[in-house]
Formats: sequence, C-alpha cells, structure tokens
Amino acid sequence: MSQTPAPVAAEALRAQQRAEALSSALPPLLVAAERVAATVAQGVHGRRRVGTGETFWQYRRYEPGDASTMIDWRQSAKTQRVFVRENEWEAAQTAWLWSDASPSMDWRSDRGLPTKRERAELLVMALAVLLARGGERVALLGGGQPPGTNRFALARMAMTLSGPGLGGDGLPSPAPLPRHAMLMLAGDLLSPLPDIHRVVSSFAARGLRGHLLQVLDPAEETLPYDGRVEFAGLEGEEDLLVPRVEAVRAAYRERLEAHRAGLAALARAAGWSYAVHRTDRPPQSALLALYGAVSQQPVG
Amino acid sequence: MLSLGPLAFMAPWVLAALLVLPVLWWLLRLTPPSPRVIRFPAIRLLRDLISREETPARTPWWLLLLRLVLAGIAILALAQPVLNPRTAPPGTGPLVLVVDNGWGSGRDWPARQRTLGDLLDGADRAGRPVVLVPTAAAPGGEPPGAIGPVRAGEARRLAQTLEPRPWPSDRRAALESIRKLQLQGSAYAVWLSDGLDGPEAAELAETLQRLGGAEVLAEAAGGLPRLLLPPSVEGAGLTARVLRAAPGPSEPVTVRAAGGDGRILARETAAFGEGRKDAELRLELPAELRNEVARLSIEGESTAGGTVLLDERWRRRPVGLVAGRSEGSDQPLLNDLYYLDRALSPFSEVRRGTVGDLLGRDLSVLILADVGALTDTEADRIEAWVRRGGVLVRFAGPRLAQHADRLVPARLRVGDRTLGGALSWSNPLPLAPFPEQSPFAGLPVPPDVTVARQVLAEPTLELAERTWARLSDGTPLVTAAREGEGRIVLVHTTANPDWSNLALSGLFVQMLQRVTALSAGVAEGVGSGTLEPVEVLDGLGRLIPPPSTVFPLPAREFGPDALGPRHPPGFYGTDEARRALNLTTKVTTLDMLRGLPAGVSRTGYAERGETPLQPWLLGIALALAVFDLVLALLLRGLLGGSRVRARRPATKATTAASTAAALALLALPMVLSGEARAQDPEAFASKAAGATWLGYVVTGDGALDEMTRAGLEGLSRVLNQRTAAETAGAMAVNLELDELNLFPLLYWAVSPSQPRPSDDAISRLNAYLRNGGMILFDTRDGRFGAGGGPGGDRLQELVEGLDVPALAPAPPEHVLTKSFYLLQDFPGRYAGGEVWVEAREGRINDGVTSVVVGGNDWAGAWAVDGSGRPLNAVVPGGERQREMAYRFGVNLVMYVLTGNYKADQVHVPAILERLGQ
Repeated sequence: MSQTPAPVAAEALRAQQRAEALSSALPPLLVAAERVAATVAQGVHGRRRVGTGETFWQYRRYEPGDASTMIDWRQSAKTQRVFVRENEWEAAQTAWLWSDASPSMDWRSDRGLPTKRERAELLVMALAVLLARGGERVALLGGGQPPGTNRFALARMAMTLSGPGLGGDGLPSPAPLPRHAMLMLAGDLLSPLPDIHRVVSSFAARGLRGHLLQVLDPAEETLPYDGRVEFAGLEGEEDLLVPRVEAVRAAYRERLEAHRAGLAALARAAGWSYAVHRTDRPPQSALLALYGAVSQQPVG
Repeated sequence: MLSLGPLAFMAPWVLAALLVLPVLWWLLRLTPPSPRVIRFPAIRLLRDLISREETPARTPWWLLLLRLVLAGIAILALAQPVLNPRTAPPGTGPLVLVVDNGWGSGRDWPARQRTLGDLLDGADRAGRPVVLVPTAAAPGGEPPGAIGPVRAGEARRLAQTLEPRPWPSDRRAALESIRKLQLQGSAYAVWLSDGLDGPEAAELAETLQRLGGAEVLAEAAGGLPRLLLPPSVEGAGLTARVLRAAPGPSEPVTVRAAGGDGRILARETAAFGEGRKDAELRLELPAELRNEVARLSIEGESTAGGTVLLDERWRRRPVGLVAGRSEGSDQPLLNDLYYLDRALSPFSEVRRGTVGDLLGRDLSVLILADVGALTDTEADRIEAWVRRGGVLVRFAGPRLAQHADRLVPARLRVGDRTLGGALSWSNPLPLAPFPEQSPFAGLPVPPDVTVARQVLAEPTLELAERTWARLSDGTPLVTAAREGEGRIVLVHTTANPDWSNLALSGLFVQMLQRVTALSAGVAEGVGSGTLEPVEVLDGLGRLIPPPSTVFPLPAREFGPDALGPRHPPGFYGTDEARRALNLTTKVTTLDMLRGLPAGVSRTGYAERGETPLQPWLLGIALALAVFDLVLALLLRGLLGGSRVRARRPATKATTAASTAAALALLALPMVLSGEARAQDPEAFASKAAGATWLGYVVTGDGALDEMTRAGLEGLSRVLNQRTAAETAGAMAVNLELDELNLFPLLYWAVSPSQPRPSDDAISRLNAYLRNGGMILFDTRDGRFGAGGGPGGDRLQELVEGLDVPALAPAPPEHVLTKSFYLLQDFPGRYAGGEVWVEAREGRINDGVTSVVVGGNDWAGAWAVDGSGRPLNAVVPGGERQREMAYRFGVNLVMYVLTGNYKADQVHVPAILERLGQ
C-alpha cells in the first residue's frame, strides 16, 4: 500500500470517528439475509449445514479419516460408539457500499449545511461501522479493497472515501459482485431514470439485495431562487438562463416528484428499498431508516 | 449665468444635458440587469421549463429612478449651481470699495474679507473695474488713498494684502482721495465699515452716494468692537472699564488677565447695564500674580482696542526704605526698618539703601524712618521727586524730633511728647477713628494700639485738613501734605515699637498699603533718549515682534499722541523696562455709526456669502453611485445571498468592480486615519495611566526589544503571582514621542545600535527622574562596574546630558536587598556584576535612587515565552539563579512602588525593644 498523504489520513480518521460517533447510538447491525453471499468467511449467518462455526450442529459416528481431535469424548463415553461433534457452518454476509462521488455531490446551497457528498459518505461510513460491529463484511463498491470486517477494513474505507474519491458519473459501474451480497447505493440519483434502471437491474439480476438512498440538498427540492438567474451545472452541463425562476418552480417540483416516483417504482420492481434524505435533516434519522431497511426481512 | 431665485448656475449650458435623461431612461429600461449566476446540480431537471412563461426581465423601476436621479444630480453639479449668488452691483461704472481697516475692523476680519471676496467676485463676473479704498494708514505711515480703478482680479490680489491695523482709521484722508477720483460712468460704492462713528462718517457716506449709489455694511450693535480702557490700580486689584459702542440690553463681558507667557492669570465677568455704554470690573489678584500680568483683553475680542498692555505702572510699587541709624543686625527687633520691611514686602517691592541710591532708580514710595536732617542735595532731590508724583513717608523718632527739616507736612515742635512715662500722670493713648477725608478712612482701629511718645505739630490753620489720623485726645498722629504731584506723609511716631506698639499691629500693614496705593507710580518720570519697540500689537490684538515699519519712539514724546502707524500700540523701551503704549489712551470714546444720509442702505455682514453647491451635489452623486453599485451587486447575488462562488471569466469583471468598491470604502477611513494618528499620544496616555505598566525603552533593536518585553512580561507574571503589586505587563516607551511620567519604572537595555536620544528627550528624561521616576540601565555585558565592559562606555555615550547624580555600588544594607525578599546579590542572566545606585541617598525623592545601573541582563533571565517557559539559560546556571533574578525584579519593583518604606521597617524591632524597656 502506497504511503498516504498525512492530511488525507487525518481527514479519514476524522471521518471514521464521526461515523463511529453517529453509529454509537445503534446496536450492531446484522444483515437480514436469507441467502448469504457465498464466501468462506466466518460469520453469524447459519448455513444449516455442517461447517466451521461455533453453534452445535450434530453428532455423528466417527468415521475413519476423522481427526482424533474432533472426537467428543464426553458424548462417546455415554455409549459404546465414538461420536464426532460437528458445528453449523456459519458465514458472514457481505455488504457492498457505494457513495456517489461525482462533482454534483460537492455542493451545498448554504454554508451552514454539509455538502451532499459529506452527508452521503457519513451515512455510508456509519452503516459500515454498524455492519462491521455486527460481524458482517463490508467493502466499498469500486474501492478496490476486498471485503473485511475489522477496524482496518473500516480505516481503509474511510481513507478511500476521504481521498480523491471514486469519481464517476453519478452511478456505479456494473461490477461482478458475489451473488446474494447486499448493496447500498447513496447519491443524489439525479441521472436519467433509464440509466439508473440499467444499473439496478444489472445488480438485481445477480440476486443482490439493494438499497437506494437519495441524498438531496434542500435547495434542490424547493428551488428557492427568485428573479432572473443563470444556472450553471457542475458536471459540464450547458448554462441555463431562467428569466423568472418563480415561474418555473412548480414545474420543477413536479418534475422532481416524477423522478422520485420513477425511482421508487424502479426499486420496488427490483425488490430494493428506496429512501430520500435531505442534508438539512439530522443524519441519525436517515441512519435509523437505513438500519431498519437493512435488518428487516423483505416484505413480500 | 442663469439665475433662479436664490439659485444660479455658472455654467447653464450644461443643463442642456438634462435632455439626455429620457434617452437614458429608455436605454436603462431596455437593458436588463445581468442575471445572478447560480451553480445548481439539478440543472438537468430544469431544462426545457422556461418556455412556459417568457416575461422580459426589466430593470426595476426604483433602480431606474435611482440612476436617473444620479445622472440628473451629476448634470446639475456640472452646471456649477450657486446659492445666494452675489448679484452684480448696480450701475455701469467702477465698483468703489471703501474698507475700514482701522483697529475696529479686527473684530470680525475674516467675515469682512469674505464679503470683500464676494463683492469682487460679483464685479469680476460683471467685468466691472474696482477702486479699492482702505481707510487706515499703511504701516509706513502713508495716508490711505484710493487704488484703482483696476480689474477685479487685480483688486482681489490687493484685497488679500489688506489687514486690520492697530491704529484708528483716517477717514478724512480716504475721503480726500475719493473726491479726487475721476470715474467713468455711474459708479457704485460699498463701504465695508467697522460700524464706528467718526467725525467724517456722514460726509464719507454722502460723498460715496454722490458717486452713483452707495451701501454701507456694518455690524449690528451687538457685533461692534468694544473698548477696554487702561485699568486703574486699587489696592491689590485692577479696576478696568469696558466701553461699548451703543447702549443696549444687558450684556456680559469678560476680561482676562494674561501673563507675559500667555498664561491666563485671572478672568472676570461683568455686565453692561441695560442702556449703559460702560461696564466696570475688578480683577482681584494676589500681589505676586498681579506683577506678572502683562496684558488685559476682552474675551472674544480680537482688536487692539480690546487689549491693554500693562507695564511697570501697574506693577507692585517699589518702596525705598532709609533708616536714620545704621542698620545693626544684632538687635533686629529694635531695628527701625524691620517692621516696615515685614509689613511692605508681601505686596510691594522693598529696596534699601541711601536716598541717592534709591532715587537713582524708579521709586514710588520713599520711607524715611527717623531720619533727622537731610542734606540739602538730598532734600532737593527728594523734593523734585515728590513733585513728580512720589510719596515720601517719614516716621518720627528721636533724631527727627531734634532736627526736623523742611520736608515735613507740618511744622514740628522741637522735642517730643511722652505719655504714660514714669514722671507722667497720663497713660499711653489709643487712636481715634480715622476722619472721613483720610485715606485710612474705614480701617478698623484696634483698641490695644497705643502711642506712648510722639512728635507734635505746631497748630496751624491747615493742620486739621492735613491730618489723616489722630490720637483719642485729638493730637495728630499722621499728617500729610500735597507737594506738586506727590505727597509728603509724616507719622508722628516711630516705625519700631520704641514709642508705640502701632508697628506691631495689623493696622500698621493696612495703613502702609493705603499709603503705597496713593503713589502715582514710577513711570511718570520723563525719560530721555529713545524707546525701542519691543513688541507691538497687530490689528488682531496679538503681540508680535515689531515689523521694520515701526520706529523707535523718543522718550519725551511717549504718550497717546505718538500713537500711529509708525508707533503702533505695544511695548517700548528695553526688555527690562518696558513701557506700554495703549491704543485706548488715544481712543477713549466709542460710538455707533449713525447719521447716514437717506438713500444709503445699511446691511450687516452675516447674510452675505454665496455658497457653491457643486461639491455637495458631486458628493451626493458619488454616494448614490456607490449605493447603486452595492444594489447592483446585491441584485446579482454577489453580496450575501448565494454562497456559491462564481468562477466564470464573465463574472471576473463584477468581482473586480466589487473589490474596487470595497477598496474605495476602505480608502475613506485610511484618509481619516491621519487624524487618528494625531490622537495617538492620548490613547497611549490613557492606556499607560489605566494600569501599572513596566515600561521599557525602545532601542530600535527588534530582537533586544522583544527580549526586554518578554522579560518584563515574565517579571510581571511573577509579581502578580507573588506580591500585591498588580502590574499589567510590559509597555514599549519611545523616548522621543511618549509621555514618560506615566511609568514608575523604565527598563533601559543598553544597545550598541541605539542612537543617542535627542536633547528634547534627554530633558524630558531629566524631568522624569526629578519627578520621582526610576530607570534601570542594563548594559547586558555582565561586567558593569567591575572592570567595565563595552556596555558601560556605550551607556555613557547614550545618557550624555542626563542629570544622573554620583553613583556608587549598592551597599549591602541597601533597601533593594530587603524591599520584598532578603537578597545578598542581584544576579540576572549573569551573576556577580555589581549594581550601582545613587551614592548620596536622601537628597531628593525621599532617598529613593533615581537610577539603578547594572550589567546582569535581568530581562534575559526573566524572559518567558507564551507558555511560561524561560527563553534563555542563565550563566553560570541553575534555576536558583533564575529565581534570584526574579527576586531581584520583585524587589526592584517593590522598591519603585513603595520607596524606602522598608528601610524604615528594619528599625521597628529596635524601636519596639526600646519602647518595651
């Protein structure tokens, strides 16, 4: 691993500490997974078959080839047979987290608010902390790191988030993820609906359960400007001169609502959850909602 | 010039630009304000929404109005509007300006000059020639005459050279010169008068009117000059009379007495009674102060007539004492002159000597105590002097009783009369109340004053009226006779307690004061030679060095008649014997200008004056422009509003504009800060006086000053921790600029690079040391005294001229060793160097040394950084040495603040022990 510049490391540490503080109010998070991604990592999700784990699964007769250390002598002493004690295979779920790092996320309408990116990263990091505490394995989608469950994995995640970022155009690039893993996408999700649909369906096709979290600035929701305004995009879009913003406000809101409705429908169709978070609201409420969505058994 | 009522435009054609305003309005309406630029992530959702409603953006009406008003004001300003324009004088010929510049015009000269300037402006605009006629003689003595006709511009230059003169106007000469004028066309005359009447006033006005038309400018009655007459001396006070030109309502007037150096010694207010033209006021002054009074002036009056210069005539009277006996010092209480001297010296200047010596100088009263017969020459000289106004006072005694000469007010019987002696039935007699005509009238007669012996006068017809005091049986005790201008007074008893206890009483002092006050003074004598001008008054009542036009004054011509352009009022003579020539000895009456012929209008000075409005209008336009800029920035969201920074090149210009506006706003306080800097000493003083600061001398060596500052801060910290002395910290003191007296202690680290303080700074340092300040000199070489280091030599160069007494090494029992801690030595960064203090304690400042000199670099040892860690290592070392250095600092500051109080304290055990026994 290359040497990380000190400011980035300090920033990463601060980000991780903020996330830890935010998640300290919640118990460790266990992903509600009826099917766990096929990994060999030890976790808490029982696989209902013999394997390495801590929970007793069954006794069976000693067969030649079994190691003598596997013999349960107490059980064997009760009868004439020799028994071997077997535990249940318990595996960990893997959660892939993604935070939008496109330039449009680096924006806030008021100096008193955090940028959308800060908020999205905070929530992603807090979720990662909770998951790691619950024994699940977490990784950043596109971060280039293998999933991990310990503090070092968290520190690496924080470093990646605080660093130059993952870049991108507002949507994750389809990656070959293990089946049945969990996926959480946080971003402003303002890309055109067909693009989002393509990404979501490509993940859903692998059996990944996902969660969409739309992080928006209040100004993006209410369009609080008046008069003649020239709008400039943050991702190289063409400038747009609006003679009277108040005249288009209602239409803008309608359009935003339609976009959201499309997102919700899209998520529903894929069996995913969809939530909206505004940066002027406290992050706790968003985290609580995420906690519920991740830990709940999917309805229907 | 375009005139609209009280408003006129100097450049009316500029007003045509107002026609452009509608075009401007149309243009502004068409051009929408540039939009705010907002960066917005959800721009994708905004696309295609605008086509629904397309209303063209317009400049808001109020902004439009603001800009139109701005343009309108700018155009108006360029048209040079003038409020109350001076209308061109009527007539077609020249403008004749008669300017009174005699003494009376000094009262409000700037207003006169403004008016004159306005009149000349009017004449300039109308292209009229001007004739300028001052009415006071020029300083060279040339009589006033008309100048001109000349162009108005030329006349303005001449008018600027006019100034009020300290002598009266010569309207007669001005009148003659006006009569000689040959003028083309019908002239118009304006007389800028001083408002005072004179014999030629009406004639002058009439002549002016005949030129074509005339108007007279004069102040109203309340604004006329007032006249302060030379005061008369009454007792210890001065009685001054103030005249005003016209009787009117009651009006206060304040006269102040100033010393030769300009100090105000007394200030007295009186009031003109209603309908009265004069007011009298009395300035009560202690005799010492009265001698210092050099001038009296009416407050608020800047004329030569409102100022009276005082010379010897108003000073304490010199009194000469001559004794008949040789003055023995063995029995001073029996001396003839002892009681006279004691009685007179508080309020008079007492001289002793022989008659010849005393009369050689100016003298107002000569007292001969028991001088018998005078020689003929002496008697002649005294008699001549008395005839000129001297007062001769003689006291009787054994010698006078035997040899009375002719200089007595009444013929005396030979011998004396004894009352209550061993062979007499009678008792010593008390005094009778003083008769009405006596100068002593009203003095209380103490009953215990008795006269045991006296000389007797031969009864004559005039004896009764010559008697100023009697005994209770009617015998004259004091007789007096007029002799020419002066008086001869005889007290029929002795000036010592031999014959009477009068000399022991307070009555004696009062009587002598009255007699002295009678004397006419010393300046009456006719001198010879010439009197050089010493200082003269200018037209504004200020004393100035005599200009070259002032001539010396022959002494015999000295008097009111001499006063004129060649001899303006002022001090003449020599610096030691100055004689005051006052304008008010010549000008003694004052009347208001009246009796003007009909048809001559009379106005005041005040309501004149045109006001150019251009600067104001331009200022308003600039303010509006700044306001407009702020509004434009607000509208575009560059001030407040959106926090998103615009980074596009197109918006750079607006950013630059806003920066320029901010700079323009910043420039204003920077311009004003020049004044703020002038107030700096006050801020410094209020800061320094607000708390106890440890001062250090700024040497100019930055590192050293910083170290000294850190050292004193460290010491201050230790002081605040350990002692009751609450010091606020260290404060830099610039010897050249700052007030030193606010600091109890100055730490002066000697630096090789520090320039020698200026002489001014040295003298202020001397004053500081004399007034109880203390300087700790630190040569910082660790070797001061013992062998000497380079710092000692440098110190000597630096403080050359400083009044430092002889120094000696601090003795082991010096207060510095026990003012707080008990110390054996005084280490700093270096240990072992000697500390030198004043060698002779107890001389001044209660024995507290004013300088402490050493070379141990104490500040270096005290210096701490922000977190309290020491900055320097101490040599040879050890925290104990640093602690000792701090203890020395504590002792030093305690010594500075409490003086030698600890030196007294050490005796307490011994005193208590002794008391116990």
